[in-house]
Amino acid sequence: MNKGKIISVRSFRGGTGKSNTAANLAAQGALAGKRVGVVDTDIQSPGFHVLFGLNEKKMGKTMNDFLHDKATIREIGFPIHENVGNVAGLSKLKNARIWLFPSSISGRDISQILREGIDFNKLNEGLQTTIAEFDLDYLFIDTHPGLNEETLLSIATSDVLVIILRPDNQDLQGTSVTVDIARSLDVPSLLLMVNKALPKYDPVAVKKEIETLFNAPVAGVLPLSFDMADNASSDLFSLRFPEHEWSKGLRGVAQAILALE
Amino acid sequence: MPGVFDRLNKELQGKKQDGGITPLDLIDLPPALRKIMRLMLRELQVGYPRLCEIVDAMPAADRMTRDELQSALATLTEQFWLIRIGEGEKAIYKVNLRRKEGSKLMAGVWSALDEKLKDKPE
Repeated sequence: MNKGKIISVRSFRGGTGKSNTAANLAAQGALAGKRVGVVDTDIQSPGFHVLFGLNEKKMGKTMNDFLHDKATIREIGFPIHENVGNVAGLSKLKNARIWLFPSSISGRDISQILREGIDFNKLNEGLQTTIAEFDLDYLFIDTHPGLNEETLLSIATSDVLVIILRPDNQDLQGTSVTVDIARSLDVPSLLLMVNKALPKYDPVAVKKEIETLFNAPVAGVLPLSFDMADNASSDLFSLRFPEHEWSKGLRGVAQAILALE
Repeated sequence: MPGVFDRLNKELQGKKQDGGITPLDLIDLPPALRKIMRLMLRELQVGYPRLCEIVDAMPAADRMTRDELQSALATLTEQFWLIRIGEGEKAIYKVNLRRKEGSKLMAGVWSALDEKLKDKPE
């Protein structure tokens, strides 16, 4: 089996902070000296690239090109560490090794995917080849919220599934479905992360309650943060504000992932 | 001149188009079959001897006898969820995932969208 681990970051509903969390977890892994890849499999509504300072102009070949046999995985990998610029948080990745595999933001490419569907053999080949070609220790996958075939595929090939949820009844019900599916697909490791917890909640009590409810470990309870919202996906928050409570919580989740065998 | 490789490749493409497993199907598989499919999803393609090595190295609870492994491979191959190239000890197995179908929206919707996007820069 490939030596690199696939970490799938999921949430049942939108707005949980899934992409921000995935990007920051990947960055923390890279800062810890790991070779890390981050892939945006949300082909229908990509946005992951924004967190890494990439725009349509700078974006070269994409996952869409790979899926349509117009590019190899080697050509798609965008070395974040070589393109950090002067952005306060991102620039801390200058000496790290982290590659982004973006999905196209072009309306034409998105419409082509919607119209023609997706070759899952090709998508899976892309995910597995990425690990081998870039000699990755970790490949973080950001997926579309909810459950669709792409997300099920990413869950099925994952070593670790990180489910992000808010302390909200809709999220709790949706997470229950995702946890059941992850168990049905024999995902080796499952971690929960509670995000956007109100300050009045006791993180220890929330952790205990969620762990009891899902019989799964909660790797972190992260606070609802206006600072995070103010960051507006313009930088990697945990690198820019390492002493912020959200960043401390995020580092705890990253450590839990890196500690898994 | 078309050779054996071309013929096998053509045959393989034909088989791929015939079916394939969906990520949803994986959930309903019996545990032994699902283990093999998960393994194959990660490895993409594996020769039979290597598959035996991997199965032998599994934790005792997950391990399969040769008969169980062959029976599982036969079932998965019959369904075209795995594609077998070659026979016996030299067989190579490849996972075969069903393509996600495109939108069922009327073709006119897409041509209208394409028309809108036509003048946008790449």
